[in-house]
Amino acid sequence: MAIAALPQPDLAVGAYEMPQQVSLLEDAWNRIRRNRLALVGAGIILLLLCTAAVAALWTPYPVWLQAVGPTYQPPSLAHPLGLDQAGRDILSRIMGGASITVQVGVGSAIIVSLIGIPLGLMAGFYRGWVDTVISFFINIWYGIPDLLVALILVFVLSDALHLIPRGVFVIVLAFSLTRWMDVARLVRGQALALREREFVEAARMSGARDLGILARHILPNALGPIIVQATFAIPAAVLFEAFLSFLGLGLPSPMPSWGAMANDGYHGLDFAPHIALAPTIALSVTLMAFNWLGDGLRDAFDPRMRH
Amino acid sequence: MTRGTVSYIGQRLVLIAVTTVLVSSIVFLLLHQIPGSAFLNETRTSPESLAANLRHYGLDKPLPQQYVNWFTGVLHGDLGEALKNRGVYITPLLVREASVSATVGFYALLVTIGLGLILGIIAALRQNTWVDYIASSASVVGYSIPSFVLAIFGLLIAGHYFYIWTGGTFYYVPGWGKLEQIPVPALALGLPYASYVARLTRASMLETIRTDYVRTAWAKGLKARVVVLRHALRNALIPVVTILGPLITGIITGSVVIENIFGIPGLGKEFITSILARDYNIVIGVFTFYAALVGLANLAVDVIYPVLDPRIRY
Repeated sequence: MAIAALPQPDLAVGAYEMPQQVSLLEDAWNRIRRNRLALVGAGIILLLLCTAAVAALWTPYPVWLQAVGPTYQPPSLAHPLGLDQAGRDILSRIMGGASITVQVGVGSAIIVSLIGIPLGLMAGFYRGWVDTVISFFINIWYGIPDLLVALILVFVLSDALHLIPRGVFVIVLAFSLTRWMDVARLVRGQALALREREFVEAARMSGARDLGILARHILPNALGPIIVQATFAIPAAVLFEAFLSFLGLGLPSPMPSWGAMANDGYHGLDFAPHIALAPTIALSVTLMAFNWLGDGLRDAFDPRMRH
Repeated sequence: MTRGTVSYIGQRLVLIAVTTVLVSSIVFLLLHQIPGSAFLNETRTSPESLAANLRHYGLDKPLPQQYVNWFTGVLHGDLGEALKNRGVYITPLLVREASVSATVGFYALLVTIGLGLILGIIAALRQNTWVDYIASSASVVGYSIPSFVLAIFGLLIAGHYFYIWTGGTFYYVPGWGKLEQIPVPALALGLPYASYVARLTRASMLETIRTDYVRTAWAKGLKARVVVLRHALRNALIPVVTILGPLITGIITGSVVIENIFGIPGLGKEFITSILARDYNIVIGVFTFYAALVGLANLAVDVIYPVLDPRIRY
């Protein structure tokens, strides 16, 4: 993979240098730097992260505080994005929503990877019955509407059984339980291909244990596609949270989820469209940024996969 | 249709049935952890009427017995009786609602595939012109905008700003069944995926129109229509068909929220309404429907493959 991006020997000077060694991440960085859309995406994500960090400490008004002004007030100087149907400051709630979005997105990407990577590695490396069982789950899951299963999981875990209070955690958990198959399938394929390579054989010859081979030789070589897959899990999780909260099955009411805010605005659409516009635009821009970055990362880590 | 194809379809149908039953069994077991909780939220429920309700729905029996009863019902195509509206049988109700959902879904799919293909082909043929730039930028933005956001904007524009022209068809007037109610929901549902299809089509068209056999077709003096549609597009379609399965799953998932926004009396609206009302029997029923539908859609996609690409045989 590294060969494609090596600096070309400078023939004009006549120097014949040894090509410089570049690591996977450096190589990817060199490619992604030239991808304008991915950089814009990364910039928006940086802004989102900063907003989320600020919102954790300070928002202009508390996100739950009602009647800071007249209800349905359109944008003004004091409240740049206006007030919603309960007279809450929408700017503050958008900031709070950014914080929730980051928690949901990053949390899901981490848990999906934590479940998917070990299972995928095991399936691809050991093959046999381990692979059969894991592949069975993966194949079954490709034939069902996974988000609707996740929706039912959230409902059962927090509303019917009262096991976990409705909140960010249960949404992340339900999403991850129905989405780890994507990562597992990818890692399995990588492990299947890599376990036959010479360097793995060499490692085994020199007495490395399975765990060592998996952690030190197979995982690092599969890292590029894993990062790409984890990045694409983020917008999917964010969208899932917004989808649930929009339907009233996600985060409970005072929490400033963008989906729930869009639902608030939807009810007053004909006379106060600003309530719905702010969260829907914030959500769309966020999803766009993650998708752009994901596309850029995919092209950077694997130039053959270019669309 | 060779014998291989028929036996392949047969195997897949069995697998779909197994998956559907397996997944709805999981949902059944999950939702039956608290028997009778569907009746507990109602105010002033006397113990006698609760017991009568439980007996009527067989919820007083042990869980394995309930499961066997439900399973036998499913095998006979009987999904049971609604918990909230006694006497409403779920199978006919869902069949009726599924036809509504299918109408919207069909038009959404039409938007997705039709618009996606046309935009993708035009962008590829006019690469690096303003047509390409507009189509490509639109699709790069479009596939990230969730369908419920498009629905809200569509509602705002068509139902409010253009009220004079549309008569607020889908916003102020309750009811469903008029043809003019379909375009906005179908567009909202189909556009995000249309952008995705357009991107994919453009990329694969760009690859195929540079191949030798397409150049040969041009050199033979064939008409542009024949070269593009019969030579280039047919091969370019293969990667597009691969994503049709996930795409249909996406449209089904998206229809849940779209139907709730536009008040379309389909499966998706029923799904959410029954979850909120804790009518577990209907929730399980709708889910069984969805699982079967997604399975069948994936099968349909796999059957299309060999038509496009004779190298693929089952």
